[in-house]
Amino acid sequence: MSANNKAIEIRDLHYSYPDGTQALRDINLDVLKGESVGIIGPNGAGKSTLLLHLNGILRGSGKIKVMGTEIQDSTLPLVRSRIGLVFQDPDNQLFMPTVFDDVAFGPINMMLPKKEVDAFVKQALAQVGMSDAIERTSHHLSFGEKKRVSIASVLSMRPDILVLDEPSSNLDPKGRKELIALLKGINKTKIIASHDLELVTALCSRYIFLDKGALVKENSTPQDLADLF
Amino acid sequence: MRHFFIDKYSGIDSYVHRIDPRVKILGVFALILSIILTPAQAFLSFVLFFSLIAALIVLSKIPVGFIFKRSLVVIPFVLMVTAFIPFLKEGEIAGGYSLGSLRLTVTYSGLMVFWNVMIKSYLCVLSMIVLMTSTRFSDFLKAMERLKVPRIFTMILSFMYRYIFVFEDELMKMRQAKESRSVGGPKHVHIKALAHMLGVLFIRAYERGEKIYLAMCSRGFTGEVHTISNFQIKRSDLYFIVIIAGVLTGIRLIGI
Repeated sequence: MSANNKAIEIRDLHYSYPDGTQALRDINLDVLKGESVGIIGPNGAGKSTLLLHLNGILRGSGKIKVMGTEIQDSTLPLVRSRIGLVFQDPDNQLFMPTVFDDVAFGPINMMLPKKEVDAFVKQALAQVGMSDAIERTSHHLSFGEKKRVSIASVLSMRPDILVLDEPSSNLDPKGRKELIALLKGINKTKIIASHDLELVTALCSRYIFLDKGALVKENSTPQDLADLF
Repeated sequence: MRHFFIDKYSGIDSYVHRIDPRVKILGVFALILSIILTPAQAFLSFVLFFSLIAALIVLSKIPVGFIFKRSLVVIPFVLMVTAFIPFLKEGEIAGGYSLGSLRLTVTYSGLMVFWNVMIKSYLCVLSMIVLMTSTRFSDFLKAMERLKVPRIFTMILSFMYRYIFVFEDELMKMRQAKESRSVGGPKHVHIKALAHMLGVLFIRAYERGEKIYLAMCSRGFTGEVHTISNFQIKRSDLYFIVIIAGVLTGIRLIGI
């Protein structure tokens, strides 16, 4: 396994919250390019905390490499444009007055020229089937629509890796099915944290089980998953 | 949840809606300035100002009832401030009340100040309502940015506009949860619960702010928000600004 086919490389990651609670301990994880990895585990296992480390929002001890670049203060802008992190609550992800502004927020921060921003926004919205909503305001969208626009808001940055935190939470069965189909169609390295086993098994080729901040089991099979819960 | 109290009619199509938001803001600003600078006794001017605003309302196709209802919201606040002016100003006495040993008098100059404040604030509020109901709030913010209003103000307004609805929903859900468990009990308990709810709402707003900030950082935010707009001055925008300038000058010349 050569180093340059790894999308993400985590070595000896430890993290404690400011109050001293240990949230992540001794995490070692490799994710290959093009792979889809599911991170599963009970509430409070540290799934979201781990995801926040992937783009350097949280910084624990240990080393993390994203597409071969180690996360440091100087590499944060690069890393954040390579990793698209979709938060669980779309009301936190979508904070601009219109859908266009939200989807354009990332590309504008990447200092892309206006023409490219326009093109990237339109393409990202088309990819999630929300082209018609470009002029709308986020709070007038339904929950499922907000979720799609949230995904578009990171796709517009053309990341190599898509990271999703509980993508199916609060979605109705139809919305969930559509989301699974949508994510299946996105050809990128994917990391999905969820306790929706059906979604994870439909989308991921490999599963990682996290409990009390530690990797309990790597490379689980669907059968293992069923036994765990 | 759908909330309409800010942009209920901002999506309809009319001449006033199509005017470039920057031009509209400048036009309304000029209108408000002229109203404020008009002497109180220039009654004709106020009639003309009112006609101009009425013409804009008709052109904007926004229901008159909606604008009227909205304009009434402001009146009580103005009245609270101005109600005492006629009694306090000294001058020629127009009339009075006798309340035992206390005598209240109303003076002509006091009434004039009262009229001055009332008519001007009402006309200004009407103009603002026409501006805000005929412009999408997001366009309004972008126009303010392009007019070099400090970004910190436009960002605060932008976040307020985005999240006021979210918090309204949260408060509504908390109230429903409270009502579901409220079966009688003394009144002060309910008031206390309301106070706790407001506290929780505040903490949630704070936490949400943190999370939004993380979401912003994840997408490359480094301290400055940039937006893109496609505003373009059209020929009709120039007509609008010329007509407004002409009418305002005309009122100034006729009215005094």
